[in-house]
Amino acid sequence: MLEIRNLHASIGGKEILKGIDLSVGEGEIHALMGLNGAGKSTLSYVLVGHPAYEVTEGSITFRGKDLLQLSPDERSHEGIFLSFQQPVEIPGVPMTKFMQAAINAKRKYEGKEPLSAAEFLKLMRERRKIVELDNKLTTRSVNEGFSGGEKKRNEIFQMAMLEPRLAILDETDSGLDVDALRIVAEGFNRLRTPETSAIVITHYQRLLDYLKPDFVHVLIDGRIVKSGGPELAAEIENRGFEQFLV
Amino acid sequence: MSHMEATAQYIRLFESERERIDVGAPAALNALRDKAADAFRRLGFPSKHVERYKYTDVAAAFAPDYGLKLATQPAEPTDFELVSKLYGTLAPLEADGIAALNTMLAQDIVVVRVPAGIKKDHPMQITNNWRSTLPLMQNRRLMIVAEAGAEVQVILTDKAEAGQDYLTTQVTEIFVGEGARVEFYDIEDTHERCHRFHQTFAQVATGGSFTHAAFTLASGLSRNQTDVTLAGEGATASLLGSAIMAGHQHVDNNTLIDHQAPACTSRELYKYVADQQSSGAFAGRVLVREDAEKTDSIERNANLVCTEEARMWTQPMLEIYADDVQCSHGSTVGQINADALFYMLQRGLSEAEARMLLKQAFASEVLDELPLEPLRLRLAALIEKRFRNCENCKLCK
Ligand SMILES: Nc1ncnc2c1ncn2[C@@H]1O[C@H](COP(=O)(O)OP(=O)(O)O)[C@@H](O)[C@H]1O
Ligand SMILES: [Mg+2]
Repeated sequence: MLEIRNLHASIGGKEILKGIDLSVGEGEIHALMGLNGAGKSTLSYVLVGHPAYEVTEGSITFRGKDLLQLSPDERSHEGIFLSFQQPVEIPGVPMTKFMQAAINAKRKYEGKEPLSAAEFLKLMRERRKIVELDNKLTTRSVNEGFSGGEKKRNEIFQMAMLEPRLAILDETDSGLDVDALRIVAEGFNRLRTPETSAIVITHYQRLLDYLKPDFVHVLIDGRIVKSGGPELAAEIENRGFEQFLV
Repeated sequence: MSHMEATAQYIRLFESERERIDVGAPAALNALRDKAADAFRRLGFPSKHVERYKYTDVAAAFAPDYGLKLATQPAEPTDFELVSKLYGTLAPLEADGIAALNTMLAQDIVVVRVPAGIKKDHPMQITNNWRSTLPLMQNRRLMIVAEAGAEVQVILTDKAEAGQDYLTTQVTEIFVGEGARVEFYDIEDTHERCHRFHQTFAQVATGGSFTHAAFTLASGLSRNQTDVTLAGEGATASLLGSAIMAGHQHVDNNTLIDHQAPACTSRELYKYVADQQSSGAFAGRVLVREDAEKTDSIERNANLVCTEEARMWTQPMLEIYADDVQCSHGSTVGQINADALFYMLQRGLSEAEARMLLKQAFASEVLDELPLEPLRLRLAALIEKRFRNCENCKLCK
């Protein structure tokens, strides 16, 4: 589904990703771990087409398409979703209006009619329940005045609305207390289909206990230095990253 | 054209039409005409060297040859004595040429008088729909008198049929009595061939409250001047404005809040969205006089400049001569928030849609301050319509 080959990317002339190779198959969950500053968020931004990052070498294909040729909104319509490490507050733009625009843009891309207001509200209600997002949050402006945890929960709510094929969770667990983490992780699992894949960036075993990754990768200084099964995450939890540092 | 030539043009117009103007106007308006004409001859149109006009080219706006549509029969106001007594007492003929020109040419006055203690439970709306086969000028007068404890909401809307040049001068005098409350909403939804100069002068007595909101949804050149005197203890004023500018539009909001009495409160919020080659100006002066102890004043102007070519001038001014006051003022000029924009694109919104929603959100913040709920909803829809640039979609009905 996703093929990343020898990906180099830089920001402001500084090279951050230094040759990433990663394949994510349908239905697979990949955990991405690594110290702060390793380039995990950079990789997620590059995948969703953030204009600040320049891809200097390599390729990304997603379901057979050259991802680097697609605009950010097209990538979204193709089914790539990023749960941001730091979701942005957008004062004055109501959540409902925002989500309605997002859903209908996607439907237009797929050649479908827009949802009626009633259908849309019904969908909101349904999906809100999955992550137990308080109704009052969806009546406010996007993320405005939300606590750190509420913002993360709101990310997964949006994911539930958009039903992506590939979800990238960038430290979605940080800022969540134990209960919220469980709700968000269980919500995520409930949304999964045999086709949905995910790249899960995290520092903690806790989230992985719920999501049960098929593969774990260690990213150090812009390169994947080690890949393995779930046992690798446990090993990192016990021994840290020193073993991978040269 | 220089402002001297433009001035001469309107003096000639006045002199040739003088008799017809007088015949069709009420006596209270005629009584001030000579004095106004003298003042206008002396002052002329303000040039860019006049401090409060430095951001707007007045002479250019008045240069075209506009026709005057004259009434042939005066409509005498029923409150003749009241109008005679108050007409021209707040609008100073000596301050600049605009009020003088208006007073020299005005033939009509709309008077809203609310007797003591009467609280109007419905807002009043005054609608102007421009339509003419020739370029047209209108010089309007409005007077609002809210006696002690009275309450009134007045909504003024301006629209104009496309394809013609229109010019308006409007002078509004508002008397807010003790404990009275006046809300005055001035909504312009015209087009690029409309020029206007509105001046609003309000005086607020002890415990009175005055709200003024200027919404410029579409226009050519608009200058809205709002001068408020907080004359009695505990009076409050709230001045609001939202300007949406594109094309070569120019919007200039110029305010003065004069805190003359103790314990008065003033709030100001003006927001501009400047797109394409438009330009905007905001100048807000808050004057806190020696006697105005315990003044509480907050003035804010925020601007979103969307292109390289758009221009915005902002000049908040605070002058304090009292000791015990709480005052703040500030202004910001910024661009579309790139992080917010990217977040929206990631969720699948097109760049055009995302930018539109961000601009709309920015301009709409002023709505939160409007006390009149139905108007707030209506304006939210009109602002959306304006940004979507659509005439007949279901949102806009
Ligand atoms: N705008 C930027 N300009 C320059 N360097 C940046 C910028 N953003 C991030 N970086 C650098 O890129 C590196 C990788 O950052 P990031 O991808 O956020 O790491 P991680 O998510 O793994 O903690 C860090 O060294 C960081 O300082
Ligand atoms: Mg990160």
